[in-house]
Amino acid sequence: MLNYIIRRLAIGSVTLLMITFVVYGLIRNMPGTPLTVDLAESSPDKQISAEELKRRAEIYGLDKPWYVAYWKWAGNVLQGNLGRSIQEKQPVMRVIMPRIGPTLLLSVTSLALSYLLAVPLGLYGSARSGRLDERTTSVFMFMLYSFPSFVAALLLLNLFYVKLDGTLFHLKPGMVSDNYPQLTMGGKVLDVFKHSILPVFCYTYGSLAYYSRFVKANMEEVIRQDYMRTARAKGLSPLTVLVKHGFRNTMIPFVTMLGLTLPGLLSGSVILEEIFSWPGMGRLFFSAITTRDYEVIMTEILIYTLMTLAGQLVADILYAFVDPRVTYS
Amino acid sequence: MARRISLVPPRKRPLVGPNGPRRGSLCGVLRGGVHFAVLLVLLGAVGCGSGGQPDKDGAENNATTPADGDGATDKPAEKLTVDGGTGATSPAPEKPVEPKTSGPFKLGNLVPPFEAPPLAEIDAKAEWVDMPVVDATVRLKEEYWKARPEPKPVAEALSARNVSPETNAMILDTLGRLPASEAAANWNASINRHTAADVKSTNPLLASSTIEFDVGGLIGFGLFSFDWLMRPFASSDAVVSWQTSKDRMYDKIVLRDDLTWSDGTPITAHDIEFSFLTIMSKEVPASAQRSGTDKLKYVKAYDDRTLVYFHQEALATNIWNVNFSVVPKHIYEKTIAADPTLQDSDEHVALERNPVTGGAYTITSRTRDQEIVLERRESYYMHNGKQVRDKPYFKQIRFKVMADSSVALLGVKTGDIDELQLTPDLWKTQTNGDDFYERNTKVYAVEWVEFHFLWNCSEPFFRDKRVRQALALAFDHEELIQSLRLGIDQPSSGMFNAASPWSPPNFNARFQKRDLEKAEELLEAADWVDHDGDGIRDRMVDGKSVKFEFSLQTSNRPDRIAICNLLKENLGQIGIEVNVRPLEFTVLSENMRTHAFQAAFGGWGTGTDPDTTENIFGTGKDRNYGNYSSPEVDRLYGLGRREFDFDKRLEIYRQIHRELYEDQAYMWLYYQNAYYAFNKDLRGYVFSPRGPFNYSPGFSGIWKASAQ
Repeated sequence: MLNYIIRRLAIGSVTLLMITFVVYGLIRNMPGTPLTVDLAESSPDKQISAEELKRRAEIYGLDKPWYVAYWKWAGNVLQGNLGRSIQEKQPVMRVIMPRIGPTLLLSVTSLALSYLLAVPLGLYGSARSGRLDERTTSVFMFMLYSFPSFVAALLLLNLFYVKLDGTLFHLKPGMVSDNYPQLTMGGKVLDVFKHSILPVFCYTYGSLAYYSRFVKANMEEVIRQDYMRTARAKGLSPLTVLVKHGFRNTMIPFVTMLGLTLPGLLSGSVILEEIFSWPGMGRLFFSAITTRDYEVIMTEILIYTLMTLAGQLVADILYAFVDPRVTYS
Repeated sequence: MARRISLVPPRKRPLVGPNGPRRGSLCGVLRGGVHFAVLLVLLGAVGCGSGGQPDKDGAENNATTPADGDGATDKPAEKLTVDGGTGATSPAPEKPVEPKTSGPFKLGNLVPPFEAPPLAEIDAKAEWVDMPVVDATVRLKEEYWKARPEPKPVAEALSARNVSPETNAMILDTLGRLPASEAAANWNASINRHTAADVKSTNPLLASSTIEFDVGGLIGFGLFSFDWLMRPFASSDAVVSWQTSKDRMYDKIVLRDDLTWSDGTPITAHDIEFSFLTIMSKEVPASAQRSGTDKLKYVKAYDDRTLVYFHQEALATNIWNVNFSVVPKHIYEKTIAADPTLQDSDEHVALERNPVTGGAYTITSRTRDQEIVLERRESYYMHNGKQVRDKPYFKQIRFKVMADSSVALLGVKTGDIDELQLTPDLWKTQTNGDDFYERNTKVYAVEWVEFHFLWNCSEPFFRDKRVRQALALAFDHEELIQSLRLGIDQPSSGMFNAASPWSPPNFNARFQKRDLEKAEELLEAADWVDHDGDGIRDRMVDGKSVKFEFSLQTSNRPDRIAICNLLKENLGQIGIEVNVRPLEFTVLSENMRTHAFQAAFGGWGTGTDPDTTENIFGTGKDRNYGNYSSPEVDRLYGLGRREFDFDKRLEIYRQIHRELYEDQAYMWLYYQNAYYAFNKDLRGYVFSPRGPFNYSPGFSGIWKASAQ
């Protein structure tokens, strides 16, 4: 197992190098630089001179070809220096760190809710397969999956923020209320909880529909296996058959899925964060791309790549636990 | 007595796309071009899609709509309050990044060596001329309001629906007034302002986005400003006297002696000299402040109150170069050498959180990407127990960060937000019902942000001015305004707005009236004829037959694409083929900057001085994206900059206006109005060519009515 992990880590490092190299090349070759945006937005009264632009290009290392700049960036990263955000004029980590908490708050809650609800829903679906109630639930799930989250977000805000203003159910965009600093600790937690209800809902419902269908589809296959018939013939209760003999055998694709969701925990969602005024990673990433804030983009890419690789590794290791037939020794 | 709100000319808009949905609006988000799509595919491949709904957001992101100049950058600033329980984290202490410089930091290392002569020597030769030191509020009362019609009853204005230009004028003339008496204003009021993006830095020297200039105008100290007609002056809140030498090479300022920073230290001339040197230090990332400031030879404090600005050249535009942000010397002189970035060291992080301010307000709290809260500073208007300046109307100002303008409008409807700049679409469709008018009213005014089609004069199609004239004659300007601009935007007839003194009086915008026959005549005179009978005009260029078919680049927003499509349709009628190419804002900006386009749709905000347009139409200048060149225009700009007689200067710029229009350097299209929603409690909004806030008094003239 240890050998396997070491081998995977070595391959992972090469993958990481290749991905960052390619992404760095791509973003540096997009038309425009961080200075383009500054120029475009500078006041007609205070135009940045060509000399100043040249000076800044040198300071930011934009005067060097991308493949030279890449190695400088990679070398700095190895020394623990992720660089400075050109747009924010401060170290990248100081820009990214405050985004992580709010992003995880939504994504982890949403992921937990999706899995907690998707498994029973999926099992229920497979147990009641083909019946009216299951069909109705399925149709509803498909509708949810197809319904764009940003439309739902705007509709929900219109309802809870405007129409229900003054009632107990009034919910606002943003992460905290105006009077947040004056609240007690319990009040603060409750305040953030209330503000996160709508974004978490919008974050969750689509994936809930997806995961529950996923569980059901996998169960459909397992449920036809001989060992299921055997288990039923042994006289086990339907629940035991379904969960112990059935669901456990769908764990492999489930674990794969879990591994793939790991990077998603930190990537955030551009549109939902915009609509709910939520200070997450999605907006940061998007604005970094549009403003060509190279160091921020690269740090986020680095984080996502690392988490993707880690997710796959963890999933592979978990296979050995969920399926005794898998061994890495 | 006037309060200074925006002593630094606010960084205003744009380049290629002013004044649309603010960056960060839903529209703004749905942008991104091919490159972003490639990146997303790549990210998808490595599993970096959105966690919640892996496919949906990605699909949306592939839709492209441009950003525009407004709102600047929508990136995070550091969270300054630690929010236990919110999941937010305070910034991790970071190892300061080494400034990229060799040797120890030297303050003002971009300033060539200069030995300031003794003040007596300057006084002896200067022949000082007095310059205006103005109380902006008094000037507004005496000049602006005296010329306006009598107001209607407030109740009538508050109950009116803004459905016509007459109603709009009535609301502005009634609710825009200053309080009739002290008791009319609610001095304990708070105002919740909207911002689409957070402040990146609270240090005024590092300000570069609209919101930073907005906040900077409230907390920062400065000496100069300009009024609703963009006339420059020194603010009587800070300055006792301002004199300029007869040869225009020196400006002398005497400061008031009752100015203090928020920590109680007096504000002196030495702070201004120090700020000049800080801005002019290579390692300090103050690029926006450096432009203009770098035209000064030196700024010298002769004592605590006397200051002389030394100019490099005698120019009529020097008056704008003396205008830069000021930071407290007693704070930064101790910290700058160790950290010239002004952002990294522990001391600078602490100052970001709790800056020492010189303006009417001070920052009390800030939650990253959520809000920034300012409080009225008593030591600004009180000195030694006496009131020495006007008391600012608002006790508290809260900027709420809401990236999406539709959601911000919901905030306006619930009363959470008191003022919001509306997009034309929101103005037209979302602000007409009782849900909006219950708490709010809305007004508009012309903002001098013009939009145009820009021709690349290096391209064979656009070299001949007869062709450019023909294109303008073929375009349906009436259709543009009536169908695509709500029928209320003002047509643009040249470089300067018709209401500007720089525009020729009674100017005949002869290319605005559609005349296809004349357009065809001009094209034929320029030898653009359909020789091969395929329906598209052509002519020989450098020995080859070239069809009149060009691409028109625009930012990817539906309203702008619609305008480009109108041109396509109009020119199709005279045998010219147009291919509309919508692009991401940054790509478009880069293409323009590098002249990599044939024609484009763009826009410019107005500068405060007419000379700022030289950068756009002067041969080889930085913003002359279309490679327009006219020796006569170049000559006139040179004259205008050196002409000190106001009337003569006026005539020079009017002539430039005529020349450019005759040459059709651009096809000028329209000015986009500034549309605003205001809570019904608010009063005192008067619009300048740069909107209702960014001039003096601007925002500081706005107040809330008391319950009476």
